[in-house]
Amino acid sequence: MPKMPSAEAEIQALQAALAAEHTAVYGYGVAGAMLTGADNAAARADWESHMNSRDTLQAMISKLGAAPVAASAAYQLPFTVHDAPSARRLAAALEDGVTRAYLGLVAVTNRTLRTFGALAMQDPAKRAAAWRGSTVAFPGMPAAALSPRRGAGRARA
Amino acid sequence: MACLEPMLRRRQLLAASTTTLPLFLALSACAGPDPLAGPPPLSADVRALLAAVAAEQQLVFLYKRTMAAYSALTPALGTLLAEHQAHLAQLRARIIEPPGKTVPVAAPARRPIAGTPAAALARLRTAEQAAIAAQLRRLAGASPSLAQLYASIAASEATHVTELDSRLHG
Repeated sequence: MPKMPSAEAEIQALQAALAAEHTAVYGYGVAGAMLTGADNAAARADWESHMNSRDTLQAMISKLGAAPVAASAAYQLPFTVHDAPSARRLAAALEDGVTRAYLGLVAVTNRTLRTFGALAMQDPAKRAAAWRGSTVAFPGMPAAALSPRRGAGRARA
Repeated sequence: MACLEPMLRRRQLLAASTTTLPLFLALSACAGPDPLAGPPPLSADVRALLAAVAAEQQLVFLYKRTMAAYSALTPALGTLLAEHQAHLAQLRARIIEPPGKTVPVAAPARRPIAGTPAAALARLRTAEQAAIAAQLRRLAGASPSLAQLYASIAASEATHVTELDSRLHG
């Protein structure tokens, strides 16, 4: 497979993160409607965080000369939200999606973007843990990446 | 052998005896790897990986000692310890060790345990924060796959800081 030019790969990873932020902004609107009290306040604060992150990503993509991906009118959510527990599960799932997207940025060669992605994934990882009520060992990492094939991504001593 | 080619053709090399060829190689000043010079130095990514393994071992050791000293903290810290053990296993799995050899990793430092449960939690929190900073420093020189592992572990450690904060102040 031909290697993607690094600038193109960077924009693609940023666009993926932006798309995840758009999904989170939409999804929190759905989740928040089912939450009350402290949970509702937390959902509102998280929704605002995602709007700020979305704006940051849009600015970064524009600065690279690309058009930021636009938000859709609606998103297919992973499951139906009908009560507070399912709303909390949705919030955790949204945060997991954003965490995964920022981890994609860590794979680019640009060092500044790598560090940005690594730092940016920490807040959604923390919010996911808060909504889930438990931490995970490898936020954002797909399970397949945790059982490396021989010689893939390994360092020879 | 590349440095010999201008001087000798293949037929001439094949004609050289087993006694004259080593003498010729020694006299021809070919610069090649010396088989008696010991193992080659570790590359930067391997050194970073070994440092990550050593740091993770240190965290595992610190959690175990804290839980041994303050058993009341075991329910709160057990999950975090298990996650560090998972980090350690994944980091170790990324090292290809030569057959029959184990790459040495620095032994954990033995420091006295903190005097109170709260102080012990605060020390764990400080250790987690230091670990996050170290993971971020490793990103620049790492392969994409390893960089993602370091970043994911750093994010996990960030969730640990939040968890420890809630135990300290909650």
